[in-house]
Amino acid sequence: MAVTEAGSVARARARRRFRLPLATTGLLSLPLVWLGIFFLAPIAIVAAYSFNVYSLYPGAHGFTLSAWHDFLHGGVYLRLFWKSVKVSLIVSVMVVALAYPLAYYLALSGTKRKYVLLLLLIAPFLTSYLLRVLAWKVILGNQGVINSFLFSTGLRSPDHPISQLLYSRFAVMLVLAYIWLPFVALPIFVSLETLDRSLLEAASDLGASRRWAFLRVTLPLSVPGIFAGFLFVFIPTLGEFVTPSLVGGASGYLYGNQIVDLFGAGFPDWETGSVLSIFLLVVVAALTVVFSRFLRTGQVAAR
Amino acid sequence: MGKHEETEQLSRERLLRLAAAGGVGLLGTRLGTAHAALERLGAESGRLKVLDWAGYENDGGQPMFAQYVKTHPNNKPQFSYMSNESDALAKIHAGLKPDLFRPYVGWVKYFAQSGLVQPWTPSLLSNLKHLNPFMVKAGQYNGKQYGIPDDWGFDAILYRTDKVKPKARSWGLIFDDRYKGRISWFDDLNMLTVAGLYLGFPRPWRQSDSELKKAQQFLIKKKKNVRLIWSSETNLWEAFGQGDIWIAYAWPNDWVQMKKKLKVAYMRPREKPVAWVGMFMLLKDTPRKRLAHAYVDTWSSKKSAKWLEDNYGYGHANVLARPSSSDLLKALQLTNPRAVTEPYAHLDRDIPRRATYARLWEEVKAS
Repeated sequence: MAVTEAGSVARARARRRFRLPLATTGLLSLPLVWLGIFFLAPIAIVAAYSFNVYSLYPGAHGFTLSAWHDFLHGGVYLRLFWKSVKVSLIVSVMVVALAYPLAYYLALSGTKRKYVLLLLLIAPFLTSYLLRVLAWKVILGNQGVINSFLFSTGLRSPDHPISQLLYSRFAVMLVLAYIWLPFVALPIFVSLETLDRSLLEAASDLGASRRWAFLRVTLPLSVPGIFAGFLFVFIPTLGEFVTPSLVGGASGYLYGNQIVDLFGAGFPDWETGSVLSIFLLVVVAALTVVFSRFLRTGQVAAR
Repeated sequence: MGKHEETEQLSRERLLRLAAAGGVGLLGTRLGTAHAALERLGAESGRLKVLDWAGYENDGGQPMFAQYVKTHPNNKPQFSYMSNESDALAKIHAGLKPDLFRPYVGWVKYFAQSGLVQPWTPSLLSNLKHLNPFMVKAGQYNGKQYGIPDDWGFDAILYRTDKVKPKARSWGLIFDDRYKGRISWFDDLNMLTVAGLYLGFPRPWRQSDSELKKAQQFLIKKKKNVRLIWSSETNLWEAFGQGDIWIAYAWPNDWVQMKKKLKVAYMRPREKPVAWVGMFMLLKDTPRKRLAHAYVDTWSSKKSAKWLEDNYGYGHANVLARPSSSDLLKALQLTNPRAVTEPYAHLDRDIPRRATYARLWEEVKAS
């Protein structure tokens, strides 16, 4: 009997082992094929462009590292990349700093209206991205809302508006921060919302002040949310081109704009454009791998 | 050449088709009936595929080709869009098959040499004789008419007269350190040509390596003064109209628009403005050659030309057309067909090292 039961359990396990991969394969096949065709294959094509192995345009083709050599030794595009990294870093840090108190209040204040407030936070998503960026042009322009207010209050003469608000690097950072704020607030809110409150009670029982409890308990436990939010902003803004092209002007021109222009403006230089694209992809992938270790709650909590 | 091809096709293919289809003809119908049947059988079919700049399509530019639509109701134009010539080139190489498209004059030689296009048949264009002869000549390559000129304008300098006091009538105004943060350049590799003009190079379209380096270094040095590098007129009008910009590399229409609400002047620099001209080009393998000719002929008519000038503020190659606005007439110097070329202006032209110019310009923007 026992032998029979053991046999049936083994068979059931074997069936499960057999079924699970099938089900998994079935479920994963469509997304994998999708990713293969629309993500991996295009990346391979772009990589081929960067080595001049393949090109849409007629002309001599053959494997060459010249575009990579020019990119790595020319300095112009690397400096532009560094400029974009700095802009993205400033925006990401600024947004995390702004989003944290917001998320903290929503998650831990105990207000009954926290989900209403959360809805308000993400309400701008109901409007198109482009419109939200364009709205800033109305606010920041020489005759925009801010300058008009300064004129009407006499703080500034209409002949001397604050003119560096728009078409500047400042405008790019401001608008990007505004756009990405909810993306950062949400993961931080989730990490704080799931926080075990008994830990805070224990800290209090053991004599920790509220500030000390925050620094030693709340903040470390919300680190995964902070890093997730940081990555949510840093990665997309590193290749951002829409916002800089609308409000950035000449000084707000970033790495993403350069990629777009190399593919689409002047005279086609898809080889260099592809080099810039692949470089960005590699850097972003590396950063994701590095930062992903901070996204594991267990490891952070263990520290 | 074209006529020869048509005759050959007629004898080998069309007459056979006619014979097969028109039994009546073989039985001794009158010649006129046979010709009518031939016309029907040989007629080009389908919608005319036009690759053009956005704004010249059904919604915006319909009056410019209304006559064509009236006479060819079954072959209305079907538009796809190009954001610039390299975009058009990419789309054609990627498999788009337009019957005609519209690059600017500086690209005529490039496309003529590329093997992607074929020359037009002048005898099929009744309005060709009314088009500016200097522009018509600029559309030729190896004696053949590869480009039919249509819209055109100048690249020159627009500035606020109440804010800016130019030291001289010169391209130098768009590099002037006194107006740091108030200047706008055009996002185009022609900025290197303009820098070459300002720096006094003898052949700005054919700069040597050292001249190009100087022009690039000059632009990089002066870029600190530039607030905006515009790529669409709307973009420029917004910044200029709001007062963010006082000086801009601009077209005549920009002056006409800004003049409505600001004190502005349109300067023709002593180094001369640059005249650009849109050129219709015919794709090599088009199955709608005659339809394309009919479409371009309509575009070239006086009526269409006037409509373009009145509604878009650009010039038109048809020298008979006169815009309603005397300002535009003056800015474009439409009474003088020679105004687009020497000694009054530089007619834009082929840049043999276009890829190098483009790379250097991109580096200016990235710097």
